[in-house]
Amino acid sequence: MTRCPKQEMWVRYAAEELADRPRRALAAHLESCDACRREVRALARGLEAMERLEREPALRPEMLETLHRRLRVAAANRPQRPRVISLVARYGWMAAAASVLVAALVLNLPKPTAPAVLPGNHQAEAIQEIAAAIELLQLAENGTTPPQPQNLFPGGRTNELNLLLELDDAGLLLDYLMSQDGLQG
Amino acid sequence: MTLRDKDSDAQEQRLVAYAPRVYGLLVRMVGNRDTAEDLTQETLLRAFRAFETYRPEGKFRAWLFRIATNAARDWLRRRPLEPALGLDADWPEATSASPRRQSRPEDRLLGGERASKVEAALRRLPAPDREVLLLRYYGGLAFNDIAKVTGEPLGTVLARAHRALKKMAELVPEE
Repeated sequence: MTRCPKQEMWVRYAAEELADRPRRALAAHLESCDACRREVRALARGLEAMERLEREPALRPEMLETLHRRLRVAAANRPQRPRVISLVARYGWMAAAASVLVAALVLNLPKPTAPAVLPGNHQAEAIQEIAAAIELLQLAENGTTPPQPQNLFPGGRTNELNLLLELDDAGLLLDYLMSQDGLQG
Repeated sequence: MTLRDKDSDAQEQRLVAYAPRVYGLLVRMVGNRDTAEDLTQETLLRAFRAFETYRPEGKFRAWLFRIATNAARDWLRRRPLEPALGLDADWPEATSASPRRQSRPEDRLLGGERASKVEAALRRLPAPDREVLLLRYYGGLAFNDIAKVTGEPLGTVLARAHRALKKMAELVPEE
């Protein structure tokens, strides 16, 4: 049996916040460790207890009415700014990213001595990139959160590694790395 | 209706939808319903006024619950002469003669027999440990986000959650 993981790891396990690989490593440890099984059962009972609370308690209608009134007063008192400035204030980072993208595309265009039309693949890629930038801006305009860059390692490997390092648990870290590299039987 | 009005309406609706959860968190942080109502309104107003600073790439819930948590902490700091939580008088399960609190629907919901043991157990947790559980439960936040909201390292948040959950398991009988 490997050394028992730190207790904090079991919190994330019980709360189902671990990626698949570390979760499987912990589950494998549980099969051979009574003490950790008891630990996880206790944490699960704690989580179940919280579920008995009313998650969205009803509010007094008078309170909600006052809230709506105050919000409308606040809306009326908002400083008037042209919409375009508001959008730039909120989505300036996207505009900056799009500008950089466009600048990069322009700089990569062939020199005047090159053929007037980009090679087929490059042209298609450039169109796709511009379309993606436009889509990003449209999502922002519609109030939709744009897709964020994914972790470099599918399944949250970076996050899990960071957590394991932070928890300073050499045994679990080794298990995890071995399972990543397919060294574990 | 101008575009700006549409923005304001959408923001208002979005914030009001979170009012019950914000209230649920605050009433258990400050232990007083009237104060929790006031702080809920204050939180949502602050969020409304700060909407232009909210970045869409961030998590809306984490942003909103950070405002709520700060509002509760500010209130608790401003009231040093009172018990940290006036729970005996105003914890949701208790009855009260306050006119603002008579016959509220949540008196039944929060004070129900099923939940009362959980409320009692929550009261016995240290405030920072309770805060982590409440942010997890009402905010639906992952522990990473709770660490950002509370400004504590992830390891500390997990240690608090571990201690709090074990205590809850010990104090609340299984059903």
